Amino acid sequence: MLKVCKYTLIDLARNRFAIGYATLLLLVSIGLFMLEGDPTKALISLTQVVLALVPLLALVFTIIYFYNQYEFTVLLAVQPLGRRNIVLAQLLAITIAMLIAFLVGIGMPVLVFAPSAAGWTLLLTGAALTAVFTAIGGWIAVKNRDRARGVGIGLVTWVLMVLVYDALLLWIMFAFSDRPIEPVIVPLAAFNPIDLARILVMLKIDLAALLGYTGAVYQQFFGSVGGMLVALCALILWVALPSWRAVSAFASKDL
Amino acid sequence: MDRVTFEGVGKRYGKQWALRGVNAFFAPGEVVMVIGPNGSGKTTLIKCLLGLVRATEGAIHVNGMEVGADPQYRKAIGYMPQLAEFPRELTVDQLLRMMNDIRDAPSGSTDDRLIEALGVDALLDKRIGALSGGMRQKVSAVLAFRYRPTVLVLDEPTAGLDPLSARTLLDAVTEARRNGTTVLITSHIMEEVQQLGDRLAYLQDGRLRVLLAPETILDITRETSLSKALPKYLAQLPPAHVESV
Repeated sequence: MLKVCKYTLIDLARNRFAIGYATLLLLVSIGLFMLEGDPTKALISLTQVVLALVPLLALVFTIIYFYNQYEFTVLLAVQPLGRRNIVLAQLLAITIAMLIAFLVGIGMPVLVFAPSAAGWTLLLTGAALTAVFTAIGGWIAVKNRDRARGVGIGLVTWVLMVLVYDALLLWIMFAFSDRPIEPVIVPLAAFNPIDLARILVMLKIDLAALLGYTGAVYQQFFGSVGGMLVALCALILWVALPSWRAVSAFASKDL
Repeated sequence: MDRVTFEGVGKRYGKQWALRGVNAFFAPGEVVMVIGPNGSGKTTLIKCLLGLVRATEGAIHVNGMEVGADPQYRKAIGYMPQLAEFPRELTVDQLLRMMNDIRDAPSGSTDDRLIEALGVDALLDKRIGALSGGMRQKVSAVLAFRYRPTVLVLDEPTAGLDPLSARTLLDAVTEARRNGTTVLITSHIMEEVQQLGDRLAYLQDGRLRVLLAPETILDITRETSLSKALPKYLAQLPPAHVESV
């Protein structure tokens, strides 16, 4: 598995999209820190960029890379290698490449301009989102033979998680505003990795106070060790489940 | 002992059988040309052998090992696909080293004659993405022969190759046959089939309709070219007739 991973990484290291992705993130983050005098404000803006852009680009890049490598993946499947190892190696390599691009593009400026607890939380959650959406992208690409369909499903997934899910939560909160539904909303928000990442960063920037009672509930839950463990487990599950589905689907599919 | 055996192999996609009731045995040192019209099941047959597609029924053995869960039987197989695609940012040399690593092939154990014969040595430092389709085919041919396989599967190997390289490749097939390698080749070029094949396997509608030596078909039909003899021979067969030797 590590042999395939190593050479996939060499291929990805020279990939124009991966280099462009790191450069884009670097320009955006340096631009935000230079334009905003207050690093905390810049960090809030950067959080919005990370929460929207990182999942989208990780998802689309993974899907397209898998489709571009399809013929070669078939050739690998004819070698004395287990199929599960092939997909795991490719997923691992793409995750590492996207993480390096993220850490270069976002990590370096954050560590230079805002090396605070909030900055570290943004880096950790952004890295987790990279891993989550790479795994989801791998699953989508393995499950769908048609490239256009795969990319379409990826985009719909992103829209659902970034926009629709939040809109749904807002509607629930509005519709049931006369009842104490915060204890229900908290786990629902944590169920979406993007929302979970947003909450974790917000709590570190001390923006939770602006959310009133909901913010207090978030603070109470995720501010505790148990809450952090739940968040960590949720993110690990978000990586593990799609990866497992991708590996199982590839192991049993006709190529 | 047979090198490759197909016993009652069938493959169904949904309700459609792409391959049905294939029984065939291929010996060491035999070149079998797999031919048939589009959609006849050639690709499915080869993919079943390579383990890319799981047969719905029947069993396939390579060197006595059943094609299935254990991928180690593929150590014996060299495969040249019809479409050669590799990671675009790797150099040819890195690709060769990658395959060496995957195959656990120590340096000196590989057959590198085709590297020079096909001019791939001049491409070693080039990025795969900078190579033409024909050049990638040459790299693909090198990979197929490099690990001294006992079973070679070549999917339309001369398509996209210049005439000289195609000749070099066919010579390599002849050499491999001499060394006891079982070779399965899909081809649409009847001259190639007649010249190279010890037997031809003709598939139609997922069934193996003919498995005979080209000379036998020529003798029966009293023709001199296989492109004329095969249609004549097929016309004599009853619709579901399967003949093999």
